[in-house]
Amino acid sequence: MKYAFFLGCLIPAREPNYENSVRKIAPELGIELVEMESANCCAPFSIQSVDYASWLALAARNLCIAEEMGLDILTLCNDCYESLLMTNTILKEDKQSRKKVNVILADVGLKFKGKTNVKIFSDALYEDVGLEKLKNAIKEPFNGLRVAVQPGCHLTKPKRIHFGQWMGITALEELVEATGAKSIAYERKEACCGGPLRGVNDEVAMQVAKQKLDGMKAAGVDCIVTVCPFCYLELDMGQLEIKRHLKEEYNLPVLHFADLLRMAMGMKLEDWEIRAHRIPITKILNMKEAK
Amino acid sequence: MQKEIMVIGGGIAGIQASLDLANRGFKVYLVEKDLSIGGRMAQLDKTFPTMDCSICILAPKMIECSHHPNVKLLTYSEVKKVKGSVGNFKVKVLRKPRYVDETKCTGCGSCVENCPAEAPNEFDENMGIRKAIYMPFPQAVPRVMVIDKDNCIECGLCEKVCQANVINREQQPEEIELDVGAIVVATGFDMFDPSVIPQYGYKRFKNVITAMELERLLCASGPTGGHLIRPSDGKIPRSVAFIQCIGSRDRREWINHPYCSSICCKYAVKDAVLIKEHEPDSRVTILYIDMRAFGRGFQEFVNRAKSEFGIAFVRSNPGEISEDPDTNNLIVWFEDPITRTVQHIPFDLVVLCPALIPRKGVEELAKTLGIELDNYGFLKSADAVKTPLDTAVPGIFACGYCLGPKTGDIPDSITQASATAARVAEVLAGKEVS
Amino acid sequence: MSLLDADFMRNIANSPRGRGVLVCIQCGRCTSSCPVARVIDEHNPRKLMEMIILGLRPEVMLGALPWYCLSCFTCLDRCPQGGDVGETMFAIRNLAVKEGNVPRGILVQAQSLFESGRVVTPSRTALINREKYGLGKEPAVDVEAVQKILRKTSFDKLIYRGS
Repeated sequence: MKYAFFLGCLIPAREPNYENSVRKIAPELGIELVEMESANCCAPFSIQSVDYASWLALAARNLCIAEEMGLDILTLCNDCYESLLMTNTILKEDKQSRKKVNVILADVGLKFKGKTNVKIFSDALYEDVGLEKLKNAIKEPFNGLRVAVQPGCHLTKPKRIHFGQWMGITALEELVEATGAKSIAYERKEACCGGPLRGVNDEVAMQVAKQKLDGMKAAGVDCIVTVCPFCYLELDMGQLEIKRHLKEEYNLPVLHFADLLRMAMGMKLEDWEIRAHRIPITKILNMKEAK
Repeated sequence: MQKEIMVIGGGIAGIQASLDLANRGFKVYLVEKDLSIGGRMAQLDKTFPTMDCSICILAPKMIECSHHPNVKLLTYSEVKKVKGSVGNFKVKVLRKPRYVDETKCTGCGSCVENCPAEAPNEFDENMGIRKAIYMPFPQAVPRVMVIDKDNCIECGLCEKVCQANVINREQQPEEIELDVGAIVVATGFDMFDPSVIPQYGYKRFKNVITAMELERLLCASGPTGGHLIRPSDGKIPRSVAFIQCIGSRDRREWINHPYCSSICCKYAVKDAVLIKEHEPDSRVTILYIDMRAFGRGFQEFVNRAKSEFGIAFVRSNPGEISEDPDTNNLIVWFEDPITRTVQHIPFDLVVLCPALIPRKGVEELAKTLGIELDNYGFLKSADAVKTPLDTAVPGIFACGYCLGPKTGDIPDSITQASATAARVAEVLAGKEVS
Repeated sequence: MSLLDADFMRNIANSPRGRGVLVCIQCGRCTSSCPVARVIDEHNPRKLMEMIILGLRPEVMLGALPWYCLSCFTCLDRCPQGGDVGETMFAIRNLAVKEGNVPRGILVQAQSLFESGRVVTPSRTALINREKYGLGKEPAVDVEAVQKILRKTSFDKLIYRGS
């Protein structure tokens, strides 16, 4: 399986460990990640708030790059996924919008043809790699590690554009459980982490994150697993902020989904990666070793 | 040209149509898929707005059907094949085996008393239990037992105690062919399964129930003997919330019931009043989008519900329900329309009013009969205005909720049934006898 | 309260992402599902739709309400009318930005995008570490192409005012 690898902005800037995990596990699962030359920011929530045409054109530029590569796009971030998938859907379905965007893209020598698809990491694993192959690659399964899965909003919402290719939260949970961990039910699993308001209204972002963390704590989990780097940031660093401002402690380590897979596939996280987690993940590593 | 008529569906509409036709001298085969006629009305506690006991006004009609010389009841039977045209239909009906001789069983119940095997009671919406040999409900017509072979442990006790010697485990399904001049479809409705919308917690939280489940709890012949107790712990609920429009008026593609189911506002108010009559100190709240109480004394009933019974009507549709894991109480999240803030209020019991959808199996039946269904699976009239009770196939008619929610409540179904009977008689009278 | 603007609802409905306001029946399901509405009373999606429908233009355009939205799309997914409540938030925001009302945090990201092609850029340390950890050089962005596009859509005029 070959994909045009869309990294987005946040991961290279703040979470290189996520990228590292994905690069390490991809070859084991038969995934080839081809760099997208000169790809730009996907135009997430903040940019979409500023201007509609700018959003569509910027996102479409990335889609065009992938089209020229003849590959589907693989993203690691829910926000990138939402931006690119929505744009792809709008431009494929609405001729008017497509015309307008192509006028703008002509200036940079590109034309949207509607030939590519957008996939997020977890869906790609579920649909293209498949559970069987994944299970075969698991060498050191977790022994019933209690995980609060944070699917993130844009993994499945808006359902309208995901309807055809909607895998649902359950697909992600099946993947998590394939590693030997257990996905624990908790209140409002599908709710937002508050991430989009980071830097815009930190107070509200924190309160929203708190709702999620309260639910996870009440369900009694060992750790949180995220797909989206925004969720990761909001729930990991967010716990420190909540501790400081709201005096509430959770001590729930947050793992990238790719980290979970990587460890289950028998690979060890490097020191710099372990240190990158604001809430220490030592207890998870110890649990793994203890087996 | 046959003077026999087949009515498919033994609910109130089917029963009324059968009686009207039988009284005019036609021979009627009343074919019912389930074990007994009665349909949804038999499951209800009381009817609105008169608050009559539902089965009390239904049972005499059911008995009249069973005794009427012109009505032949074919329960536990399904229509499998139809050939021919108006005046001359040949219908193959499959009679499923009860493993009990229908002609000899008196429904005395000795077998049931002695049967050791249990299974969930479908008539009570799977809230109570029944035995492996059973009658679906006490007023069932015909008053005959059936053996549920999936749950029967074959201990043979029923055979031992049966005084009329009716048990026949070797009974085979029987296919019969009937010649009829016209067919009337009256298959009624099912309730949409609210677990499709997981935010309301149906099936996840024990104390979130549907309106039909509430009816069975309130009904004296139900699983709790008519005591309003909640499923998780048997406690009497001190606070109950009704949530309207669960699946109805929903235009989302994956729900696809954009219509209003037309009777839920009415039955919700009725049920709210019944609960207040059971437990006068309880707090009952109805959360609605619009209160559709048209015709026949309903608005007056709503006013009474507010002023006399103190039922709270809140114009707000909740987005979700969560559960307190220790008490199994529900927490309903809704926007308070007065303060415009999001509230979360605890309730002991939540009743969902789901969309009403076509009965399971109607799609297949429609194919067999060659009739068309609309976008939502309800039967299509030949002309919605001029001949609403005819289907596009001459000689095949319909009445009741199978035509869709435009038909409304019980008196409407009865009215339609009588009208359909008149239509059938008219059409059959206009043809030559072959 | 201001004078009502009779055209406001139509204008929003005709803008990209704003057509959801035409189908709203004010049932309140969106607000009761919204994670922010539980935390901030002022943020109330149903109320926003109401204000648009009534034509309360200044209250909508100058208010903070639309900027609390997380674009989590819970409201959109649950609306029984298939109304695009979350999308309408974007429509309002786009219009508000045109009129000069935009929170600083959004502006910072928008300006970063214009200047570097990314909403957030790696720090120097992050860049050094990338090479150290074997992830290779930072993926290059074609900033020129980005700026060409954003000039064409007048994005730069929206985010750099009075300069």
